[in-house]
Formats: sequence, structure tokens, C-alpha cells
Amino acid sequence: MNESLLFLIPLLPLFCAVLNMLFGMRLPRLFAETMAVTGVAGSFVLTLLFWGMAEGDGTRAVLFTWLSSGTLDVSFALNFDRLAAPMTLMVTGVATLIHLYAVGYMHEDEDYARFFSLLNLFVFAMLTIVLADNLLVLFLGWEGVGLCSYGLIGFWYRKRENARAGTKAFLVTRVGDVFLGIALLWLFAVTGTLSISTINAQASSISPVVVMVLGILLLLGACGKSAQLPLMTWLADAMAGPTPVSALIHAATMVTAGVYLLCRFFPLVSLSAVAMTAITAVGAMTALYAATCAMAQREIKRVLAYSTMSQVGYMFMAVGAGTVAGAMFHLLTHAFFKAVLFMAAGCVIHLAGDENDIFKMGGLARRGPVELFWVFLAGAVCLAGLPLTGGFFSKDGILLALFTYPDPVYRAFWLIGVATALLTAFYTFRLVYLVFAGEPRGTGHPHAVPLLMRWPLWPLALLGLVGGILNLPVFVGGTERLHHWYAGLAGRTVKASHEVEWMLVSLAVVIVAAGWFAAHWRYRNYRPPLEGAVSRFLLSGWQADNLVDRLFVRPFTAMARFCYVGCDRTLFDGSIDGLARMLSGWGRMLVQLTTGRLTTYLSAFAWGFLILLGWFLIKLVNGGGH
Amino acid sequence: MIPFGHALAFAGALFVLGLSCVLIRRQILMILIGVEIMLNAASLVFVAASAFWRQPDGQAFVILLMAITAAEVAVALAMVVYLWRRKRTLVADEFDGMCG
Amino acid sequence: MNTILFYILGFILLAATLMCITRRNPVHAVVYLVAGFFALALMFYLLGAPLVAAWEVIVYAGAIMVLFLFIIMMLGLAPQEVPPGPGWQRWLPLALLSASLMACTLLLVVQDPAAGQGISDYSLAPQALGEVLFSRYALAVEIVSFQLLFATIGAYLLGRPQPKGEEPR
Repeated sequence: MNESLLFLIPLLPLFCAVLNMLFGMRLPRLFAETMAVTGVAGSFVLTLLFWGMAEGDGTRAVLFTWLSSGTLDVSFALNFDRLAAPMTLMVTGVATLIHLYAVGYMHEDEDYARFFSLLNLFVFAMLTIVLADNLLVLFLGWEGVGLCSYGLIGFWYRKRENARAGTKAFLVTRVGDVFLGIALLWLFAVTGTLSISTINAQASSISPVVVMVLGILLLLGACGKSAQLPLMTWLADAMAGPTPVSALIHAATMVTAGVYLLCRFFPLVSLSAVAMTAITAVGAMTALYAATCAMAQREIKRVLAYSTMSQVGYMFMAVGAGTVAGAMFHLLTHAFFKAVLFMAAGCVIHLAGDENDIFKMGGLARRGPVELFWVFLAGAVCLAGLPLTGGFFSKDGILLALFTYPDPVYRAFWLIGVATALLTAFYTFRLVYLVFAGEPRGTGHPHAVPLLMRWPLWPLALLGLVGGILNLPVFVGGTERLHHWYAGLAGRTVKASHEVEWMLVSLAVVIVAAGWFAAHWRYRNYRPPLEGAVSRFLLSGWQADNLVDRLFVRPFTAMARFCYVGCDRTLFDGSIDGLARMLSGWGRMLVQLTTGRLTTYLSAFAWGFLILLGWFLIKLVNGGGH
Repeated sequence: MIPFGHALAFAGALFVLGLSCVLIRRQILMILIGVEIMLNAASLVFVAASAFWRQPDGQAFVILLMAITAAEVAVALAMVVYLWRRKRTLVADEFDGMCG
Repeated sequence: MNTILFYILGFILLAATLMCITRRNPVHAVVYLVAGFFALALMFYLLGAPLVAAWEVIVYAGAIMVLFLFIIMMLGLAPQEVPPGPGWQRWLPLALLSASLMACTLLLVVQDPAAGQGISDYSLAPQALGEVLFSRYALAVEIVSFQLLFATIGAYLLGRPQPKGEEPR
């Protein structure tokens, strides 16, 4: 198979996106939607077909040379290797199911062309990030997902808050992009190339301090897209977008782009212990922060948003602990069960009559289609880490990696991970009980849930439940397939004695049980939400928005006001207006001479005569010496 | 022997008087009379110079000047009549149609 | 003798002109001016220009000033009240400035040694003046006569009563 056919994988969604953009509104609706779904499904099929090319060292394909100037040689190159292939498969597969779901979800919306073209464009950009072999091409995809995320979050832009949420997402992730840009330039300056594989190969020849700084810069860039501390304020507000958007972007793809970036640059980043510790620390703190916030949220999608933030924190912790395989394992299982949870949440909102507040739902297990409850529960138990689910194995793998890390500081991170797991179980079951158990508390008029919104949930739920077989640890009889698949790219091999592993597993079981019990005890029979100060603090995300506002937005606004009112208006406009006023004042004074009266002109004559006379007199005096 | 300077001084003073008449008086007629006075001052200069340098050219010029003055006065007074018929007043400030 | 007469006549001229320019009644002003012109004519005679002196009286005092009187009578111009406005005080700065300037000029002129030379007795007979006028200045005479013609036509056009609209100059 010709390797340049690989380019069809990202270009097929792009093509469908452009067609939808240009002609979508003129085509019949079904045609446009089918084209969108086919674009993504075609990529999925192609990925399967080309799977063989990824084995071994992978396949690199160059489409054309983008920039070539001096020592800079940027070509549009793809690297379909062992790291990229499963990610591509996941992105395209989940995207296909979500596109099907979206067809049902958006069937009443008029702007279908814009929606599906943006969605396809997003998939194209994400695939560019995954498959890129050149840092500039990756950056192109990086910016592309940011743009599409802005367009999709603010899709219902006619409501002011939605547009603002989109802007907020774009601006906050942009801050991360700046750091990535700096890293890009620095890498070019240090290595003379932007090719990712070349950079990774040369990584050991770069000075350690530079490697550390580059690692931290890449971490900050990843934080923006993955909504980690300190660039996490946008994710909760991004729930203003349609549910398929939340499922695709904020569960499976864009938020994992940061993790993927760090995995791609793992040979470089892993050389610096400081950078690795920083990555783990950021992941740990974010995981704990997000879990505490999720406990107090009232809207169903915000709970899931904070939960995503927390789980991505786990993935960062895995990268920091040195296991790329562990991070990617959790990434894949998380994609499955989080997408399921989001899509099921969309169905739940429909059922509750467009009601978002979980304290106003309840009793939906009996009201809606019965499979909805089971699907949601499947995703929930994966999230909580119930033994034998996919989520359990992936989370446990991460905690094991943290526990067995040579550096003792990582024990603290492991403890944070364990505490977060407890909180995760708690808020997950809180969510399930408040939404599905008890008597209906809401007053909304339920809408029927279309078939297209229910069918895509099943494959994902199943994948989430049985996803553990991707990387079953040895001590339960598995073969650690993912780890072997990644081979050289997999990072550190986690070695632990069987006793330690069983201890950790039993600890995990105890935690899940404790969390479930606590949630059951508190929320099985409905109790109204707490209104205390702690609750409000957690609800607002530890007042993060307020902090950002005070630290950055207000000084900036003050400076902008100074520049605008102080400098621009008073200084520049004032001086120019003042000059204009002065000149027009002179003009007005001069106008007084044009009276049209004879006497005025005669007096002008007289003055002129006087001046002439005076001049001649002076000349006479000077010349004659009288 | 009349010093030439003295004759010129008389002429100068006469000219200044004519000028002040032009500037101070409001009526068009008085302004025209001021102009006449100034012209006469010029004539005096010419005649004095002609006597000083013993040449007839100055006097010839005075004659021509008188003729031109007569012509000018004729037209000017015709215009005065015209203006009077337009506005029934001869105050110079009233005619400010060229304002602006 | 002539010198003293000249000075007397000069002062008469200036006084008459001063009276002329300060009169309210336009007829009074014209009459004072005529008196001044008589003095001026005699000054011309003393400066050796008898023909010019004669013409001063005939043309200036006799024709031009009479024309002024005609117009004043025809339009029935009343003696002017002081019109509203700033009045002569407005001219005070300009007047002072020009007075001092004039004084300087006059002093300089008078002190100039070249100016001190006297005008010796000189008298030009009318024949001599006529010869100069019609030989050297013949062209100018012709042009001035054209001018008189134009002036006549112009005065008639401006003054004719019927068309009340704009009239070209």
C-alpha cells in the first residue's frame, strides 16, 4: 500500500468539512449529515486498513514541503507509528459514534451545516495533531482544535453566555499555546529542525537545563488544552456547547491532546527529573482540585466536566511517573466511558425536559427508556473504578506506577491519587442516585429520546466495561498487550512484586466501596443540597474565576483603560484635536477680517501703509546714519 | 527760497489728513473727498519736484492726474447715486454683501 | 516774500482741510475743501506752475467739487448724526502710531541736507508746458482722453434710472 494514502485519514474529514461549509445549507439535510458521518467513518475504516503500516517502526509519509528557507525545512509529514495508531483509531471511532449521536441530537436545529462542518474540521485538526511528524504541523492542528472548540462551544452564540464561554475557552487555551510556541522556537534554535522524530533522537544531546525548561514549557502548553491547573477555568463553562461537542471535545479528544503531546515528546521530557516531577505534581493537584469541585456541582454536565479534568490529571500523573503505556491506557478507557457518560447525560437532559440541575431530576430510571439507566451506570462504574471494569485496570495501573517510582516524593502523589479515587467514587454515585433514584422532582416536560441518540451508546459502554483487556496486568493473568505494543515508546516498565499489586488492588476495592457507601448513605433518599460556605466555595471551582479576574483581567483592563483614555484619547486625540481647534480658532479670528465692509479694507490699507513707511524709515536711518 | 523738504512736508501732512478722512469718516461721500485730498497732495509733490529740478514733466503729470481724477470722480459719484437708490443710505458699513 | 506767502498758504491749506474732514454737514465740508484748493492753487503759482494753478481752480474746485455738491443736493443728504459704533476712539492707537511715524518722517525729511536746498525761482510758461505735453506726452494725453470717454459712458450707465437690476461696471 502506498504510504501517501495515509494522508486520506486526516484529509477525508477535512474534505467533508469544506463541502459542508460551502454547500451544506443548499444540500438536503440528510445528505449533509450523511456526508459528515461518512467522512469520519471513512477515516476509521482507513485506519483499520492501514493498521499494518504502524507496526515495527511505523510509517512516515511526506505530502509536500510547506516551508523551506535557509536551515528551516518544514514539510507536511505524517508519522503513523505505534503511538499514533491506537489514538487515531480511538479518535475516529469515537468521533463516528458521536457524529451519529449528534445527528439525532441536533435534528431540530437549523444550523446543521455549520455544526457538522465544524465537527469534521475538528476531527481533521485532531488527527493532524496525532499524526504530525513536524512540530509546526502539530501546532497547526493544535490551533485548529482550539478554533473549532471555540466555534463549537459557542455554537448557540445568540445567547451571550455561550459566546462568552467559547471566547473564554479560546483565550485560556491560547495562553498555553504561547508556551508551546516558545518551546517550538526554542527547539528549532537548539536542534535546527522541527521534525519530531529527529528532535526525539537528538534529545540526549541538548543541555540538561534546556531540557528541563523545554519540558516545563511543553507541560504548560499541554495544561492549556487539557484544562489542568493553572489553565483550567474554561472547561466547566465549556459545557454551554451542545452535548455531542462536550462528548467529543471534552471527553475524548481535545483534552487528551495535552497528554498526547507529552507522550510524543516523552524521549525529550523524560530526560529531566524536575520536569517529570512537575508534570506529576500538576496532574495530582488538578485531580484532587477537580474531584473536590465535582462533589458540589449542581449541573450534570459540570460534574462530568470536572470529572474529566480530574481523570486527565491522572493521565498526567502517569506520564510523570514514566509510563506512557499507562497514560495511553487510561486515555483510551476514559475516552470510552466519558463519552458514554456525556452522551447519556444528553439523553437525560432531554428526558428531564431540558433541565440541567440534578437536584431537580430524579426517578429517571423508571421514566426513560430502560437501557439509558444501564448505559449510564456502565459508564459510572468505569469512572468510579469498580473492579474488573476498564476504568479500574487503567486507574490501578497508574497508581501502581506512582507507588513504585524510585523517587519517594511520588508516594505523596500516590496518596493524592488514592484520595482522589475515593472522591471520584463518591461524586459518581452521588450523580447516579440524584439523577435516577427516588421520585421525580423536576417539573420539566420530557422530550422523547430519538433512536440515533441511544444506539451509539451501547458500543462505547461495552468498550468501557471490557476495555481492561487492552492492558491486563500480568498478576491477574493478562499479557499487557498495550505495553508490548508500544514497545520502545512505552516508557518505564513498571515492576512490582505480586504482593504489592494485590495490596493496591484491595485498597482500590475498599475505596470504591467506601465511596459508594458514603454516596448511598447520603443520596439514596433525596436530601436538598447543602448551602454552606464550603459548598459554595467548591461549587465555584475554588473561586478560580474570581482569582483569574483579580490577578490578570483587572490589571489588564486598568492598563488598557490607561492606554485608551489616558494615552490614546487625552494625549494623541487631545493633541490632534487641540491642534485642530487651535487652527480653527485662528481661522475664526481671521474670518473676522472678511466683513465685506469698506472700512475694514481701508483700515487694512492703512496698516499696510504704516508698516511700509516704518520699514522705509528704518532703512533710511540705518543706511543714512542719521 | 522754499526748502524742498518743507514743500514735501506740507504735501505729506495733507496726505495724512486725506488718509485720516478716508479712515475715520463713515459716509462714502466723505471717503471720496478724502481720496481727492490725497490726490491733491500728490499733485503738490509733483509740482514742487518739477520746480526743484526745473523740469516741466512734473507739471505735465499733474495735468494728466487732474484729468484722470475727473473721470474717476464722475464714475464714483454715479455709483454713489446707484447705491443710494439701492439702500437709501450712504453709510459704508451698510454695504457688507461681500461678507464671509 | 514768496517764502512767507508760501508758508501762510500752506497753513491755510492744512487748516481748511482739517475743517473739511471734521464737518458733519457734507456741504460745509465741500466748501471748506474748495477754500483749501484755492490756497493750493496759489501755492502752485508760487512754485512756478501758473497753468496748473489755473486748472486747479477750474477743474478741481470748479468742476469736481461742484459735482460733489450736485450729488449732495440731488440726494438730499442731511447732515449726519453721529452713527452708532465705535467712533473715532477706535482709531486712537493707529492715530498715535501714525502721528509719531509721520513726525519722524517729517523731521528726517526736513533735516535732510538734500531737502534743504531751496526751490529757486522757476516759472513755466503755458506754451512751454503745452509743447511738452503734446510732444513728449502725446500718447498719455490721448489715453487720458479715452479714459474720460469711458468715464462718461460709465457714469451714464450707472446712473440711468430705469433698469433696477444689476448693472455692469
